[in-house]
Amino acid sequence: MSMLSVRNLNKSFGGLQATTNLSFDVEPGEIVSVIGPNGAGKTTLFNLITGVYTPDSGSIELEGRSLVGMRPNQVVDAGIARTFQNLRLFTNLSVLDNVLIPQHHQLKVPWWQAVLRTPSYRKAEAHMHDVAMEKLAFFGPRLMSFRLHQPVYVLSYANRRRTEMARAMATGAKMLLLDEPSAGMNPKETAEITQIIRRMRDEGGYTILLVEHKMNLVGEISDRVVVLDYGQKIAEGSYKDVVNDEKVLEAYLGKRADDDASEEVEL
Amino acid sequence: MSDSRTRLRNVMLTLGVGAIVAVLLALVEGNGGAKLNDTLALFAIWGIAALSLNLVNGTTGILSLGHHGFMLIGGYVTSLLIVPADVRERIASQARSDMTPFTLSLSVENAFNAVGLQALTTPETLWVRFLVALLVGGFVAMIFGLIVGIPSLRLKGDYLAIVTFGFGEIIRLSASTSLFSPFTNGALGFAGVPNDFGKSIWWTFAILGLTLFVMTKIKFSSFGRALQGIREDEIAAEAMGVNLARSKVLAFAISAFFAGIAGGLWVSYLSAARLDFFLFFLTFFFLVAISVGGTGSYTGVLMGVAVVVFVQQYGDPLEKTYGLPVWFGVIGSLILIAAAGGWLYRKTRRMRPVLHPLVVVLGLIGLGTLLFAIFGQNSPALDGTFQAFGMRRILLAVLLIVIMAFRPEGIMSRAEFSWAWALRERKDQPSDEERAQDAWLSNPDLNRGSATSSEDPLPASLTAEDAPNAVPFLERGTKPDPDEPRYGEGRDWQPEQDDEEEGR
Ligand SMILES: Nc1ncnc2c1ncn2[C@@H]1O[C@H](COP(=O)(O)OP(=O)(O)OP(=O)(O)O)[C@@H](O)[C@H]1O
Ligand SMILES: [Mg+2]
Repeated sequence: MSMLSVRNLNKSFGGLQATTNLSFDVEPGEIVSVIGPNGAGKTTLFNLITGVYTPDSGSIELEGRSLVGMRPNQVVDAGIARTFQNLRLFTNLSVLDNVLIPQHHQLKVPWWQAVLRTPSYRKAEAHMHDVAMEKLAFFGPRLMSFRLHQPVYVLSYANRRRTEMARAMATGAKMLLLDEPSAGMNPKETAEITQIIRRMRDEGGYTILLVEHKMNLVGEISDRVVVLDYGQKIAEGSYKDVVNDEKVLEAYLGKRADDDASEEVEL
Repeated sequence: MSDSRTRLRNVMLTLGVGAIVAVLLALVEGNGGAKLNDTLALFAIWGIAALSLNLVNGTTGILSLGHHGFMLIGGYVTSLLIVPADVRERIASQARSDMTPFTLSLSVENAFNAVGLQALTTPETLWVRFLVALLVGGFVAMIFGLIVGIPSLRLKGDYLAIVTFGFGEIIRLSASTSLFSPFTNGALGFAGVPNDFGKSIWWTFAILGLTLFVMTKIKFSSFGRALQGIREDEIAAEAMGVNLARSKVLAFAISAFFAGIAGGLWVSYLSAARLDFFLFFLTFFFLVAISVGGTGSYTGVLMGVAVVVFVQQYGDPLEKTYGLPVWFGVIGSLILIAAAGGWLYRKTRRMRPVLHPLVVVLGLIGLGTLLFAIFGQNSPALDGTFQAFGMRRILLAVLLIVIMAFRPEGIMSRAEFSWAWALRERKDQPSDEERAQDAWLSNPDLNRGSATSSEDPLPASLTAEDAPNAVPFLERGTKPDPDEPRYGEGRDWQPEQDDEEEGR
């Protein structure tokens, strides 16, 4: 069974059809990239999957279980976590707190035990710390030690992106949706994050769906690429196939000069 | 130092400070006089209420303005359950009272008698009955907290604040309606509530300590982190699995419980329960305390409560009658101080011109008023007196404005007092070694020849060879301005030739 299966998904905002009849699958352990020009509906797709928006029609299934109509936190319980394109960290809280909060939904201990700090709560808390450290370790030492206790607002932009990825991993989800993980990073940091995403799949066992504008990143790690334009899937396949696809080039570049004449005649 | 040793040290330090506070309280109780005693008790009671309000307002970030309503519920329930038998007889004999024999029989004493605990109905065991009444009051307030928590799931920000404000008023106004007056004795309320607890600094401070304990433990637990996550970014919190509904309702319920307890102590402090003891001004005081001290910081909230209680208790001179020269003198001095403050502010911020016309004009007005007050003392224009009613609250409101203007996050901001902080152990500062490592990680010049860059995962050739048509365009790296119109001409943009160079 595929991990994530999206079928005939539709969503419109007023008159704007942001997602049109979109279908695709993600297999377990795959890294699938969603690309497309600005406004193609990539973030909208993420919002639909994670329950921020409700689709007008169509189905979204995670391992055969429908996600449509779930609240975002229920989607996390089901096993999908995300990062945000515009970063939505808990800015005034420490890096450690940011990576602990996503583990709260798995806590089984009632609140009054937390107040009394009973042994079972202490154990759960220690476990949460271990998980947090494990996830932050993906990014090397830079988020560990003293950074752990710094508020997020003092971090660099790249470190905030990393913290967000660690935070998504800490939810315990099997599948991660990364919205432009390398936005705002310099080429060297991008190269590093590319390797980290690969390690997240290989070592962390996550299935990854990502949106990215940096094509070298996409080409480097994607098993498959889905191309959107105006909310529709215009191509799907390996990176090499997709970037040479006529429709994709057209979506990104507009029509070629030499085609223009013939197109105009048709119109 | 190991974790467990640090914890032991912190517990010892806290107990030590607790002991010192206890000794001080004992001294005050023995020699401090009734006024100081009352002030401390008031500090503790309002402290409990403000701390509980801060769980919702500060930690969870939901502006709630109905706290006086929860206090009212706690206060009335406590009164109903604790007022002594002679008070009940007097109420029963009053023609204007709506109370029924059934509601008059609702008391902890009768409950104890009914279950055969006669030992707990003696005057010596009044404290047991009082604690039971207090707890029941807390629980009833908590149930109402749950009821208010439910609209909080749908509403946000200002709307919710208005709803909670309305709710607080509804509670107060409906308490005197025929539906509830059998329980509240309508507008008459209850007199003769035993004041052995609300006026006792031991009881009030013990419960304040308990409240502080619960609140800080919640804040630094997984639940508190989730609540703070909601405050920071509700959408992100939900996307990280936090159940917004459950968390907010829990916060409201716990907060209302402690507000109910504070209400019970408040009626005991005043020896009576009346509707006008639970006006919005109570919530206003707590809001001032929270804002001045630091929204979200329990340490700050207690500081804020201290300020508010001090002004309230020792502000009498503000509301006395003074001759006009005194008033003019004071006002003139205040304006002068404001002008001097403005000058200092501009100077430290290096703002030009330092002597802004407004500063000059203010200074001149202040000086003029002051000189007029001094030299015109005996002139007929200044012959008269003036009494400023409500000056205390005006002062608090002005304090609120000043804090909002110059330090909106409050004195403590979100920080809490901690022993690690007091002893200057800062975990968020790098050691020299860490600083060096950090510089190495973040500076490409320092680690150019290192392992990470030698196995550069992005050979330039990958896309360039594989998709010759696509590369210069797809690899643009940066995104166009989102405000730029994309539909229409925006689509025909031609890539610049040196795009590829910029990328690396
Ligand atoms: N809540 C909303 N209400 C109205 N329109 C919306 C909403 N969310 C998205 N849209 C519109 O839907 C379209 C797709 O937006 P979306 O954010 O999904 O694009 P994207 O592919 O993520 O673009 P980018 O590369 O810039 O991130 C856009 O035209 C956008 O204006
Ligand atoms: Mg987007």
